[in-house]
Amino acid sequence: MVSTERAEADVDLAALVENYSRLLFRVAHSVLRSRSEAEDVVQDAFVRVIERRRSLLEIRDMRLWLVRIAWNLALDRRRRIRPEQMDESFAESLAVKGLPVDERLDQAQRMRSVLREIERLPRSERHVLLLSAIEELGTTEMAEVLRRSESAVRALLFRARARLRERLEARGGER
Amino acid sequence: MRKSDEVVERVMAGLRDADASLGLEDRILESLEMRAKAHKPAAPRWAWGVAMASVIVVGLFMTTTLIHRQGSDSTQATQQAVAPLTHAPAKPTADQNATLPPNPPVAQVGKRVRSAEPARKVRRMSAADAVLLAEMRAPSHPAPEAPLTEQEKLLIRVVHLGDPQIMAMLNPELRAMQEAESEAEFQEFAGQSGKGDSE
Repeated sequence: MVSTERAEADVDLAALVENYSRLLFRVAHSVLRSRSEAEDVVQDAFVRVIERRRSLLEIRDMRLWLVRIAWNLALDRRRRIRPEQMDESFAESLAVKGLPVDERLDQAQRMRSVLREIERLPRSERHVLLLSAIEELGTTEMAEVLRRSESAVRALLFRARARLRERLEARGGER
Repeated sequence: MRKSDEVVERVMAGLRDADASLGLEDRILESLEMRAKAHKPAAPRWAWGVAMASVIVVGLFMTTTLIHRQGSDSTQATQQAVAPLTHAPAKPTADQNATLPPNPPVAQVGKRVRSAEPARKVRRMSAADAVLLAEMRAPSHPAPEAPLTEQEKLLIRVVHLGDPQIMAMLNPELRAMQEAESEAEFQEFAGQSGKGDSE
């Protein structure tokens, strides 16, 4: 009886990893901008699942619960690592390949400044903006993850984009 | 579209399209399996019972053997002590005659036989004691340094890193608070499902 339950739990865990690890990776990556760190977060999220294995049946919205865990773990991790380094290599990876070196460097520099400005946004606006980058998450789910109302999420997203644009243009003007 | 919007869109697209390297699922499952193995007890309870029982049986066997051996040793010692006295003693040489006192009468010999047994025992005991004493008086050396456990290594890493967040995890109150938060979050999601069912 016990072994059957355990077997079921094992099967569930494999299915959960199969279904959600990519989504959780993107959630963590949006915060950390590092593949290895994001993978670690996904792993930690599933460790939490194992810890709760006996009461997993109580959770119906498993997807949202997992996203919330990954999101919180990624935020915790972000405080511990040096985000500037991560952003630098991520910005370089975004630059179009095949361009002359100086243009690539210029592009990477612009990407870096966007990431820096994102980090300078007010926390709630930054969180909404980062979560909005994940296609699989709708406004309702974003609201659940951030514990806000849907209308608040929409407003925060609008404000975040406007503020970001404003600041980037101001920086461009300075240059 | 403005240039700043364009760059922002590219960054957002980069975040959206980020994908883990191949085999992420396998790696996660593997590490979870390893973790589960590490946390699993090394042997089931019945195995521990069997091991304990066998240790007791071996211990009893060894004790019985020792007692038997000691008994036979003392019998042999008595026999050895009596044997030379009951047989005719070898004639001493001229030198020995000069140094050795004359042989005591048979009656006295009998008395000495009885007193020789405890004397031998005392000598044997004292030999054992001598070993113990020698061991006791031997200069003591500190035991070789035991390798650190995983927990100790982790603790050292944490202390050397000095990260306030990890250090805070060593505080039981903060840890309890975090666990309570995690529990509350879980309950929130567990509660949601109930609400959803009733609706």
